[in-house]
Amino acid sequence: MPVVNLETSRIQRLFPKKKVNEILDILPFIGVDIEGVDDGTIRIEYNPNRPDFSSDYGILRSLRGIMEIEVGIPKFKLSQKSQYIVNVDPMVDQVRPYIVALVAKNGMLDDLMIKQLIGMQEDLHNGIGRRRKKASIGIHNLDLINFPVSYSIVEKDDFSFIPIDRTSSNTIRQILDESESGKKYGHIINHGNKYPLIIDTKENVISFPPIINGLLTKIDKETSNLFVEVTANSQRIANDTLAIVAITLHDMGFELQTVSIRYNGDSDKNLITPKMDPRLIDIEIDYINKTIGLDLDANKIIKCLEKARFQAWAKEDNEKIICCMVPRYRIDVVNPIDLVEEVLIGYGIYNLTPALVPTTLVGQQNSLSLYLNVIRQTLIGMGLLEIVNFDLISRKIQNMAILTTESDNNDDYNRNNILTVEETKSIEHEILRPSLIPSLLYCLSHNVHEEYPQKLFEIGKVFQPNNSHGINEYWCTGVALAHNGANFTAIKAAVQTLLGTSFGKVISTKPFTNSAFINGRCGVILLDDKPIGMMGEISPVVIENFRIRMPVSCFEINFSKILDL
Amino acid sequence: MDSANSSGELHPIEKLLLKRLSAVDSVISIERLVDLTGLGVDQVRRGIEWLKFKNLVSLKEESVSVIRLGNKGRIAIEKGLPERRLVNAIRTSNGQRMLLSAILQKKDNVLFDEPKESSAAFENALRNKWVEQETLPSGEKALVLMPSAGSLSTQEKMLQKLNLEESIDVGKLSSEENEAYNILKRRPDYLIEKKHKTTEIMISQHAKEQILHDISSNTFTNHNNNLEQRVHLTQEIISSGAWKKIKLRPIDVQAPVPSLHIGRKNPLIDLIDEIKETFVGLGFMEIEGSLVQSSFWNFDALFTPQDHPSREMQDTFYVSGIKQKNFATAEQVQRVSEIHKEVWDDNWDAEEAQRTVMRTHTTPVTIKYLAEKNPEDSRIFSIGRVFRNEKLSYKHLAEFTQVEGVATGQNVTLRGLMGLQTEFYSKLGIKKVKFWPTFFPYTEPSLQSMVYNDRLEKWVELFGMGIIRPEIVKTLKLKNPVLAWGGGVERIAMLRFKLNDVRDLYSNKLSWLRGVPKCQL
Repeated sequence: MPVVNLETSRIQRLFPKKKVNEILDILPFIGVDIEGVDDGTIRIEYNPNRPDFSSDYGILRSLRGIMEIEVGIPKFKLSQKSQYIVNVDPMVDQVRPYIVALVAKNGMLDDLMIKQLIGMQEDLHNGIGRRRKKASIGIHNLDLINFPVSYSIVEKDDFSFIPIDRTSSNTIRQILDESESGKKYGHIINHGNKYPLIIDTKENVISFPPIINGLLTKIDKETSNLFVEVTANSQRIANDTLAIVAITLHDMGFELQTVSIRYNGDSDKNLITPKMDPRLIDIEIDYINKTIGLDLDANKIIKCLEKARFQAWAKEDNEKIICCMVPRYRIDVVNPIDLVEEVLIGYGIYNLTPALVPTTLVGQQNSLSLYLNVIRQTLIGMGLLEIVNFDLISRKIQNMAILTTESDNNDDYNRNNILTVEETKSIEHEILRPSLIPSLLYCLSHNVHEEYPQKLFEIGKVFQPNNSHGINEYWCTGVALAHNGANFTAIKAAVQTLLGTSFGKVISTKPFTNSAFINGRCGVILLDDKPIGMMGEISPVVIENFRIRMPVSCFEINFSKILDL
Repeated sequence: MDSANSSGELHPIEKLLLKRLSAVDSVISIERLVDLTGLGVDQVRRGIEWLKFKNLVSLKEESVSVIRLGNKGRIAIEKGLPERRLVNAIRTSNGQRMLLSAILQKKDNVLFDEPKESSAAFENALRNKWVEQETLPSGEKALVLMPSAGSLSTQEKMLQKLNLEESIDVGKLSSEENEAYNILKRRPDYLIEKKHKTTEIMISQHAKEQILHDISSNTFTNHNNNLEQRVHLTQEIISSGAWKKIKLRPIDVQAPVPSLHIGRKNPLIDLIDEIKETFVGLGFMEIEGSLVQSSFWNFDALFTPQDHPSREMQDTFYVSGIKQKNFATAEQVQRVSEIHKEVWDDNWDAEEAQRTVMRTHTTPVTIKYLAEKNPEDSRIFSIGRVFRNEKLSYKHLAEFTQVEGVATGQNVTLRGLMGLQTEFYSKLGIKKVKFWPTFFPYTEPSLQSMVYNDRLEKWVELFGMGIIRPEIVKTLKLKNPVLAWGGGVERIAMLRFKLNDVRDLYSNKLSWLRGVPKCQL
């Protein structure tokens, strides 16, 4: 989850009458989590659906509303001058079609603000920008750019410029192949020898989106005028992203101006950006009340929405409907249901009381639970201890149990049929286990210093690929006995008793081979002539593999096959 | 003569101990008794306790101090004590006397390892009467050797004795040795002294007399009672009636007995069953479904865009080589792809939807059930494994148990959801709950619940909840709004079993599994 830093010094300046602790208490109610407080900085974890929280300005904007210091739609001034022009070459359509931009003048940047800007940029890149694939932002020093700027394609990868993180020229190829951003994001535009660039009239490279900016227009504390561009593969995402940057720069004290985006040869597409018109959404009062479970009147709802930084009014022709004006930067509020949550935030969740709604419905556990519990009770009655294991296990454990060999003709455990997961973060979880036995043995191997006898069971799921290229999941019961008398007789007695006491069923046995078991001491378990499992004395090779120093016998029964579930 | 013995019968260990003790004239240590009887230390200790209680033995606990040579003591063995070195220096220089000034200035670094030693040397040499101070006619001070300088001081004798015997019991020192010990122990690092306790046992007089007579005849009995002694009641003794003629020897009821290892449910399963019961009590019906799901039902249909970060390899286990087929109706697929375009301007990828995932939540199961049965009014729940491709840590598992409750009907509201949640917690013994807003891809509004844990003295995040987004409800053609809530069971388990590492729940340590109490009173 993304994190934004809020300096307690800022809180003290903006809310002089409030203590930091009071703010910490209020913060969760705007929907964020406090990760920690260190040294004058509050680390706030926010959800990806609120990209406007990517800078602390967004947090403060929300806080001011909920604390009723500043309610209604936030002020926003945008000068429609459009004196700065971006010319778009139609070729970009094949690579990264959309660009929007704004100009921000007469601001004052300090270290903290630059940190916030960079943090916001990164969060937007990763969030709505989907790792820069959908959109990426470039923030530049306006004064060093010669307008009009052109957004076009270059076809030679030996084109060179000085990127922001170097002191000398690099070619496009070098940047893509050698630089960190090139390696990370190159795949977004690296197809077909067409490289998008933003260049000014003096052939200076402003940016190589989405990879990296040019060094020339790097911003610092001295910069007072900014040019911000957003390139994207979706017009809407480009607009959404720019809107968030715009409101943030506005709150930082910059004067915003529009930019003219001109499409050479297709003036229908020409735009003036940023487009900051608010959205209007109608919502029925009944809908709000029914969803939450309250009985609010129009005025109350309007007040709640204002606290959430919206503007709202009852419709003239229908007082049962509220019309709400949603500021452009709230890209997450699109449908009436989104407004319901905003009303809730304005109302304050702490003000909601839980209500118990009576029901005539009768609850019950399902048959599977009931049957598995019968099995469980019987095994407990036999003095067995229940263990729980993971469904994803390591290949190593599976191999140590030697259940799967090509020479055995057991379809259930064929080595070639093991299901695996991709790119696991942990070697403990590599395959979908086809059997419970390796996990049981693994448990025994971890308890060699505990007292014997050790008699364990597990009820869990196993996975096998089926003939129609799908996966079968089965509920199985596995038992492992480890002690000096853990022989075939003991394990067969357990199987017999289990099926007999639980379901009144009688099993039969036939000799069976599986490399996990001692040759000649393994049997397949049959119920009405249908194989439902196997049992036997575990081979000393396997016992050695697991470094268990006791005889072990095991059984495994597939109950899905019996219970028809 | 019976005063010694109120209980009357003796355990074989007691008898053996008394036998050995009676053969010894004086006190004897526990270690020695162990040797003499061949019993274990614990058995001897216990036996002596019983005998003491019956006044058949008396115990004397003594503290013994033992001394050994310290570092300086060893150096002194080699080079001589500082005062001896001083005497030798005077001898070699002049034979009889030496100026104080000469001693201090000339020989300081050779004679003495540290400045302090020179004052120690003077002090002890004077004390031993090896030297005397003299004022020369010139006014200068000098040290004169005396005849006794030739003999060993008591301290030197002590050190030599220690060198030979390694360790000496302080209590056994002669008065002269004691004097040397007292001085040496004040000089730094010459001696190492250690105290330890010993117990010495002596048989009491009347016990001695009694034993010699009775034990030899092998029946130590109570005077008032002539019955034979036995250890076990057996089938034979009962059926033959012999029980009327025998006395069963008392046993030590305080002695420890082995623990029983019984069959039992896994504690986590116990908690899961308790949660199931709680749901049933609130009118919920249990359903179960596959752990393996299509990406479509796990993500796409649940309002999660295809390039959402949580989908990537990071957080999701994709199963290799298996593509899902026929997982949804053409209409459902169409509608979902439209939503993806409308909301995120995404070109929905059918191949991505076909990928097989280990379910990251139980919602695909509950939502598919609702789509299938399309009830007017329903309360269902599901408990089972969910999977997240994450590194394991003390608070994260890659595979854990999730419980989810879903309610649909005409009158489901957010406050009603909060009510259900509060009631659910209350039944599990959790009374302090609070809620605040959060975000889940498929619910809006969404809330998070926090519960107060007394032991940790803090608020802990538990279940999340919300109203299923209308887009999803519409796609599945459900009749009424749907509430959903759920979370991980392991977190409750950690609070209940007072664990600090979630992995303990799956590490199956038998000592833990065997020892966890089934409930708290």
